[in-house]
Amino acid sequence: MEQRRFFLVRMVTAAAALIGASLGVLVAAVAIPRRRTVVRRWRAAASMFDLPPSGPLVATLTERQADGWNETRKQTVVFLDKLETPDGGGDGYQALSATCTHLGCRVAWNADELHYKCPCHGGVFDRQGHVVSGPPPRGLERLSVRVNPETAELEVEL
Amino acid sequence: MRAVFDWLDHRTGFRDLRHHLFDEPLPPGTGWAFTLGSLLLFGLTLQVLTGTLLALFYAPTPDHAWDSVRYITNDVRGGFLLRGLHHWGASLVVVTAVLHLARVVLFGSYKAPREMNWVVGLVLLHVILAFGLTGYLLPWDQRAYWATVVTINISKLTPLAGEFVADLLRGGSDIGALTLTRWYAVHVLVLPPTLFGLTALHLYLMRRHGISGPITPRSGLSETFFPYQAARDLTVAIVVGAALAILAWQGAPALEPPADPSASGYIPRPEWYFLGLFQLLKYFPGRLEVVGAIVIPGAVMTVLCLLPWIDRARSRGLQERRWLLTGLAAGIAALCTLTVMGAMDTPAQADGEWNVREQAGLALMSDTTCTSCHRATAMSAPIDPLRVSQPRDWLVGHLQDPQMIAPGLRVAPPSNQYDHEAILAALARGRSGSIPELGLDDGAVAVLFNRNCLRCHVMGPVGGAEGPALTTIGATLTEASLVRQITTPLGVKPDGAMPAFAGKLTADEIARLASWLATRR
Repeated sequence: MEQRRFFLVRMVTAAAALIGASLGVLVAAVAIPRRRTVVRRWRAAASMFDLPPSGPLVATLTERQADGWNETRKQTVVFLDKLETPDGGGDGYQALSATCTHLGCRVAWNADELHYKCPCHGGVFDRQGHVVSGPPPRGLERLSVRVNPETAELEVEL
Repeated sequence: MRAVFDWLDHRTGFRDLRHHLFDEPLPPGTGWAFTLGSLLLFGLTLQVLTGTLLALFYAPTPDHAWDSVRYITNDVRGGFLLRGLHHWGASLVVVTAVLHLARVVLFGSYKAPREMNWVVGLVLLHVILAFGLTGYLLPWDQRAYWATVVTINISKLTPLAGEFVADLLRGGSDIGALTLTRWYAVHVLVLPPTLFGLTALHLYLMRRHGISGPITPRSGLSETFFPYQAARDLTVAIVVGAALAILAWQGAPALEPPADPSASGYIPRPEWYFLGLFQLLKYFPGRLEVVGAIVIPGAVMTVLCLLPWIDRARSRGLQERRWLLTGLAAGIAALCTLTVMGAMDTPAQADGEWNVREQAGLALMSDTTCTSCHRATAMSAPIDPLRVSQPRDWLVGHLQDPQMIAPGLRVAPPSNQYDHEAILAALARGRSGSIPELGLDDGAVAVLFNRNCLRCHVMGPVGGAEGPALTTIGATLTEASLVRQITTPLGVKPDGAMPAFAGKLTADEIARLASWLATRR
């Protein structure tokens, strides 16, 4: 009798645990979002003649993108610049992401101080995107840029 | 009637329940300091009620969230009050929770046998903060969007599982529709039952061990909760509730422009009770970021959680615990300092009076330049700056030549690049606040000034630097000398660079400019 009761307690506990685990799997399966693979491609950002003589050009690249059941216009802001001594290739052109590497706020070019500044936590970057001061852990993300010889447009890989 | 209640009591036992709930004996000397828990309960009840009413009108999608909140504010009867109460109620709950916690520490109420209730209380504090965080996104305005960007990026600093946690919070690869539904579901479906359950547990544990009472137990008769302590609780609830109603009556909390991931010049700031944390993040550069975002807050919470086991002495006296209390006071002082510093460090968003360029733009938008097409009965809808979603270059093109956008409909209204700049400035400004009423004359003068003077002269925060600033010109020049100066500047100052406006402006226009300038002091 005692043994039977003990067995039953085990079974009931196991059955409850099974139900709990199944529900847990369901919750995890639904609540953990699917990862979308990011495909990078070249996209026209601005005409190379649009670059102002001093300071970078702010270009907003718009792309239609599925957002759940919604279709949104995903907007990416980049700074296009032509530098005398560029760090990388790209015919002397440089494209920097405007997203602060600290916590993702949108940095802005300060024409008086010749720095990119973040309005959130005070990160400062130089014209090449390197950290000058403040909390950002690394420089602004450098995007691949090229000149399309046919259209004279600067293209950025996003 | 009595028979009915007797029957009901026999079937449900409600009299026993009532007796158990209300006739709890309290230690002598239980006083006003012990009303904070009840005040918190009052605040939470108010949040549940106003939140439920808000949910009757709110739509959690990026397309409609902002509009539905605007609808609640402007069109729902009492809607502005509802939003005000929910907004200020959230602050009330956070403040009361922290005061309640401070009271428990001060009175040593966390000590044995009440350790578990202390821990449950700390979990409840986190539930309350989670409510604040998730509720913040729901209006889907600029402030909501950017605060959430920062929150999600902070979550990425979680050791080992950063990206996973961020994905879980976002619900997708970017902040968007799926983030909004997710946070809405958590705010209205996940957190409330958690709150109810934990609150019930908190109250159950409170009753199980009784209220701790004054630090040094007093002798005397013990009071019952009802009506003695209940009277104090209700007095506090009424006073605070009235203050809340007055705050809410001042107007609904600001609704900023709809979320715009590409907006430049927007200065994101979190709700005030997260400002201290926000400020802390500024002091930890580079790889140390995780210290400010996770290690310090985590350590503080761990120490708080272990408090009953760190301070195991039986005595609840202030003297015996002065080191601990000094530590707590220092912690609270640090949090307050950080919060105040965070608040002071908030650069002013564009507010105050509209500058002359923005006024000129507003005047141009309200006269036939725009309204010949953009009005209720014409071919285009009236302009609402908040609903203008086209990028700047589109707007410039549209202003220069409306036909470009709507070919064959009409000719471009007469205007020049200065007018266009003014209209763009007014549109941008109109997105960040209410639109002022302009007198007809003021508007016309602003247009004149913007078109002819602003390129070389500074007026307030705008203008060119070639000529002298005119912000306070009325203090030095009279109206008559201003007329002379504008009409024939070389007659006043032969070596000056200012062109004469005698032929460009009519005498009437010059007179209006001069009389307006004479009032700038």
